[in-house]
Amino acid sequence: MIVALETRGVVKQFGGLVAVNNVDLVVPENSIFSVIGPNGAGKTTFYNCITGFYTPEKGDVLFYGESLLGLSPDQITYHGIARTYQNIRLFSTMSAIENIMVGEHSRLNASWAEAIIRTPRMVKEEKAAVEEARRLLNFVGLAGLGDQAARNLPYGAQRRLEIARALASKPKLLLLDEPTAGMNPNETAEMVAFVHRLRDELGISILLIEHDMRMVMGVSDRIAVLDYGEKIAEGSPTEIQNNPRVIEAYLGKPMSEYEA
Amino acid sequence: MKTQLKSSLNAGITFGIVSLFLYLIGFTTTASQIIQNLLKLKPASTVLGMDSLTFSFALFIGLIGLWAGVNQARSQKGQPFGTVLLSAVLTGLVHGLIVALAAYITGSLNASGVKMNTYLSQLLPASVKLFLFNQTPVLGALSQLAFLTLTALVGAAVTYGLMVSNVFGKLADAWRSMWKQVNAVPAIAKFRASPYFSYVMYSLLLLVMVFVPLRAGQYWNYTLGTVGIYVLLGLGLNIVVGLAGLLNLGYVAFFAIGAYTVALLTSPAPHGLVWNFWLVLPLGILAATLVGVLLVVPVLRMRGDYLAIVTLGFGEIIRILSKSDALTWLTGGPKGVNNVGGPVLFGWVFDDVSYLYLIFLSVLLAIFVTRRLQNSRVGRAWESMREDETVSRAMGINILKHKVLAFAIGAAFAGLGGVLFAARNQFTGPEDHNMMVSINVLSAVIVGGMGSIPGVIAGAFVLKGLPEILRELENYRVLAFATLLVVMMLVRPAGILPASRRKFEHENAPGNEGSKQ
Ligand SMILES: Nc1ncnc2c1ncn2[C@@H]1O[C@H](COP(=O)(O)OP(=O)(O)OP(=O)(O)O)[C@@H](O)[C@H]1O
Ligand SMILES: [Mg+2]
Repeated sequence: MIVALETRGVVKQFGGLVAVNNVDLVVPENSIFSVIGPNGAGKTTFYNCITGFYTPEKGDVLFYGESLLGLSPDQITYHGIARTYQNIRLFSTMSAIENIMVGEHSRLNASWAEAIIRTPRMVKEEKAAVEEARRLLNFVGLAGLGDQAARNLPYGAQRRLEIARALASKPKLLLLDEPTAGMNPNETAEMVAFVHRLRDELGISILLIEHDMRMVMGVSDRIAVLDYGEKIAEGSPTEIQNNPRVIEAYLGKPMSEYEA
Repeated sequence: MKTQLKSSLNAGITFGIVSLFLYLIGFTTTASQIIQNLLKLKPASTVLGMDSLTFSFALFIGLIGLWAGVNQARSQKGQPFGTVLLSAVLTGLVHGLIVALAAYITGSLNASGVKMNTYLSQLLPASVKLFLFNQTPVLGALSQLAFLTLTALVGAAVTYGLMVSNVFGKLADAWRSMWKQVNAVPAIAKFRASPYFSYVMYSLLLLVMVFVPLRAGQYWNYTLGTVGIYVLLGLGLNIVVGLAGLLNLGYVAFFAIGAYTVALLTSPAPHGLVWNFWLVLPLGILAATLVGVLLVVPVLRMRGDYLAIVTLGFGEIIRILSKSDALTWLTGGPKGVNNVGGPVLFGWVFDDVSYLYLIFLSVLLAIFVTRRLQNSRVGRAWESMREDETVSRAMGINILKHKVLAFAIGAAFAGLGGVLFAARNQFTGPEDHNMMVSINVLSAVIVGGMGSIPGVIAGAFVLKGLPEILRELENYRVLAFATLLVVMMLVRPAGILPASRRKFEHENAPGNEGSKQ
């Protein structure tokens, strides 16, 4: 088994609050790994530790065996990690295609001087970048909306555009933070199919934060549960569904009834 | 009904205060004189039984009255005709009462010999008389009341008619459908889509730029030159503020460095260097860029407001240094530097026309550079930074590097502007580089439309060209100008010519520059 991402004893504190406490995680390559937990459990904070937004107080984050500690978010992107945000954070006045092209930044090379002179290499690269952006737009099912300002897109489209932008850097690992938040059951089902496609067609590994239990159980290969910053359980969907600590953390309701 | 009553009263009070204010600062008289001039009425002539100045005043105050009515009708959109008229009358009455009261009080005081202009310098007896339509206080006040009510009524009635018949909507539709038909003609559509279209447009522009300086005369060439230099500055600041989203309030510093570089290196005093202008031109740009980079690196980790304040201070420091007595040996001190050398080509000294060409050329160069950068990986990085710095960084963008780059290019444009400015005036001094330059350039960028090249050009014309045209207003130039800016921001909050986004998805030739406005 090739390990894409591994965290070892990651701790992140905000003053007295321990938001992430000693979390170990092993995400195998080409798998869909979900992180669940009640509100405020520390899931987003955990993501921020992986992507370099926060530096953990303790522990280590390894990506294909290499430590990411001390790298800035832009450097981590170059290593092959991309993410989406819980509250959609598109570049709202830029068009959909431009958003994706910003996502391609790390794969492009043209400097400011080349841009002014328009060297043949730069022109070629730019052409390919537009092509690729169009292709990704198609891939996430937004063909025809490319020239719309991101903020004018419908909600579901914005979520998918954010994924397309993340994919534009050709990541090896994609971190999704509640991709179905605010979606209806139909859209959620589409998203499940889409996440599968991401893994199967693009061969990337996926780390997923999700509140919708039906989605989590249906899509994940493996699940870890966070509660008050600590990992309280880990296992296959069936194991998690029957784990008493998890049921307790989720207000004592059986998991099958729980839908956030 | 109650809310309508309230809104009518509120509007009446607002208009009353505006009219009162205009009166107290003497603008009613000035405006009347301007209208009199514009209509080419002789001071001695009479129109409709009034002398021409009173007539002009009636026009002016009548326009405000009409405006109140129009405003009221628009805010009561969808209401029945009766309600609209009633609310307009109410607004007019309140407006009129305030004005009439002011007219009566000042008129009576004036009649009893109180010299109000000792307190309010603009309340000259003539102004007060004019405000009463040159009648007795009682009659004049009543006339004001009646006139403002009537005009509000008329304004509201006409607006109601226009709104109901939707004349403007129909006109706009007609215009749009005509435009559509024109574009539907295959030959025209093809021409517009082809690169030749932009070539033709550019050639036309070029022709204008070549011929206007030949005809405009020295004064207007000077003004156009100033506008051109402001376009240059605006384009630079547009990159920093409009594209990269960094609020730089000390932009004038780089302008000053360009100006002082050319001044000190080409003037016989204080250093006696008298270098060639063409050699100093790139040096000025280089110096501004260098200082820009050096000074900005430590500051760039700050965000938003802090950056604005620090750059503001930096702009002032440069000016104060250039003014300081201790540095007179270096900078020429408060008196500035005279006899700055200008461009000479093969023994031929540039006159106003050729100098304007030089400025135009620089502007074209700046536009070229801006467009190429904007439509590239760098430009996209800047814009994403402006939108959301955190996410931008997560896209792999090196924020610090791109900020420095934006500052450096902005500083280079300003340096070029400074060189051209000082060499044209053959002088530079501390007062050429005060904070107002930064503020004006920033206003040009905002008024024109952030991030938009045509917007910057329009903004510079409004900011630097319009004041020349408004010269007639003399004392009220600043006021008129401020009013204009406020109105403009209300009517077009995104700027005169806001940035339009480039189309990628339905564009056949990606990277085709002509497709971006
Ligand atoms: N920047 C911060 N400063 C201080 N406290 C923070 C910060 N970010 C998060 N927290 C706190 O850390 C805890 C974990 O927050 P986090 O956003 O990671 O939870 P989450 O699991 O993503 O919750 P949700 O399901 O609501 O998204 C919360 O108590 C939160 O208030
Ligand atoms: Mg969260």
